[in-house]
Amino acid sequence: MTSTPRTLFRLDYGGKLEREIARMVASFEENKFDTEHYPQRWLAIKLLECDADILERVQAMPNGAQIIELARQGAEKIKSMLGDEVDMITADHRYGYINGVVRQTLHRPNIDRITLTDRIDDVVTHKWFGLPFFFAIMYVMFRLVIDVSAPFLDWTDAVINGPIAHLFSFLLDLVLAPAWLHSLIIDGIVAGVGGVLVFVPGLLILYFFLALLEDSGYMSRAAFVMDRFMRVVGLHGKSFIPMILGFGCAVPAVYATRTIASRRDRILTALLVPLMSCSARLPVYVVFGLAFFGSRAGTVIWAMYALGILIAMLSGMVFTRTLLKPDASSAFVLELPPYRQPSLKSVLIHMWENTREFVRKAGTVIFAASVVMWLLLNLPWGVTNQQDSYFGKVSSAISPAFAPLGFDNWETGGALVTGFIAKEIVVSTMSQIYIGGGNAQPAEPTTFSEDLIGIGQGFIEATIKSGRILLNIIPGVHLIDPQKETENTALSDALRDHFTPLSAVALLVFVLLYVPCIATLGAIKHEFGSSWAVTSAVYQTAVAWIAAFIVYQGGKLLGFG
Amino acid sequence: MLTQLIKLLENKESGLSLSEISRELNAQPSAIMSMIEMLVQKRKLIEIGPDGKHCTSCGLESDCNLLKAHGKRYVVAPHN
Repeated sequence: MTSTPRTLFRLDYGGKLEREIARMVASFEENKFDTEHYPQRWLAIKLLECDADILERVQAMPNGAQIIELARQGAEKIKSMLGDEVDMITADHRYGYINGVVRQTLHRPNIDRITLTDRIDDVVTHKWFGLPFFFAIMYVMFRLVIDVSAPFLDWTDAVINGPIAHLFSFLLDLVLAPAWLHSLIIDGIVAGVGGVLVFVPGLLILYFFLALLEDSGYMSRAAFVMDRFMRVVGLHGKSFIPMILGFGCAVPAVYATRTIASRRDRILTALLVPLMSCSARLPVYVVFGLAFFGSRAGTVIWAMYALGILIAMLSGMVFTRTLLKPDASSAFVLELPPYRQPSLKSVLIHMWENTREFVRKAGTVIFAASVVMWLLLNLPWGVTNQQDSYFGKVSSAISPAFAPLGFDNWETGGALVTGFIAKEIVVSTMSQIYIGGGNAQPAEPTTFSEDLIGIGQGFIEATIKSGRILLNIIPGVHLIDPQKETENTALSDALRDHFTPLSAVALLVFVLLYVPCIATLGAIKHEFGSSWAVTSAVYQTAVAWIAAFIVYQGGKLLGFG
Repeated sequence: MLTQLIKLLENKESGLSLSEISRELNAQPSAIMSMIEMLVQKRKLIEIGPDGKHCTSCGLESDCNLLKAHGKRYVVAPHN
């Protein structure tokens, strides 16, 4: 019986590197270097790769320092010849060899290679269909959020302006509070903070659907699709991260531009981020959407989000071709997690954490702004007509600038100015002006138990109504006519007296695009300096004015006004 | 393979998903992932986003839409 001679496997790393390995092996003999238990070729490769552990061990061996110096020279030579470190070249050859072996030996049936996730991704991340699919998903989500939450918004509004206002009023009467304190709490704080808190049910439902999309794995695909779209219009690949953050809040989004190496690209992205519709604008969209468009409010809100993206893309194209020509962009790779069934616990946690942040803001920034607003609406002390207050006079002075946009009343001008602090304050200011200040309809006096029963009954009615609206989505089911379901919150009633549907849309466009809030401008100033913060404020306000002008005047020309 | 991967990323105008790279290079996604991790170690790729090193100073973690999107993202490191 003859035995086949055993040959050791040796991976060929290519001529130049192989020659350097051979030179290193020869140098072991020449320098009387004992490689001890290490195979010579393996040690030569590790030394050329500059493996830290091996370098440390060899350093401690006799003649080790000489060998390390030779290895360092050899590694530099290879790098200058092949343009890369030795460890990258060896790894490249190893991966290539392994992949070749796998391809030759392992035959996977096609059915295993293309998973369900791959099949879904082929559609939802498709070069052409991906973006329309994303917008369709967003459209369905906003329709659902608005339709399902509308009865709950109505209920919350009734609770805040009914039983809660009554309770505060009762307590103030009990302690014989002076009239000014009564006015501050009821007309200022309850109307201002309450005007924003009305939207908590809507946000809960919105965050529920967003959490469903996130947990299912779709949001990663949405980010991927959006990234591709941004590149098409000339934006940097990394811009998508701040842009997506901008849908939540522009402040962290501006700071997230730090992931971009080029200063020009950072500035460009920071200028576009505030055009993404942040969550603070949502209460403005919801209140006007429900007041003027009823069951079509979801479509209007979706259109605002889409318009923000479109204007950002157009502005990006203008900037990249004029002031801020970007550096060559680097490609990016995205690990898309597989689709999975969302867990209820995780969805509820996401929903609660996001809503809690909104409520926290209402309890701090909006609370403080409501107190300041109340003061400004009541100074000089004893003023009876709000338009004669300091706030009213300043607002009256600036309101003519909005006349070509269809909303030249002083209340709107003033509310837009206060939106500079935070966009939700537009709603709280309007609530204070229209609902507070004695403008609200006097309510029938009720007892505490009647209020409690009313809250419970209202909640049950809202739940039934929402359930019917939800069931209406099923084809063939008509439990409710959404066209007839116009919402009548105290604020929406007041708004209908001061706006037309066309001027309401123009206002929404203006709110979407005008000057970023003070915190965002602060972040831009902190990151890029005062001049860019001023640029951001000026260009956005100009874009907002022009866009609202086109909407209002164009709408009138087309006969919508 | 590593060279091909880097070249692929450098030459693509748009982003690539793991499965797309897998198809382009005719290699398993798990193998591509290990290559990507190695390239990150060698500083040829930079990991960005919530799993990278850029969000550690941000206090608005619970508000972060990117964190919720979960996927890791990498870009080719700029050439020195």
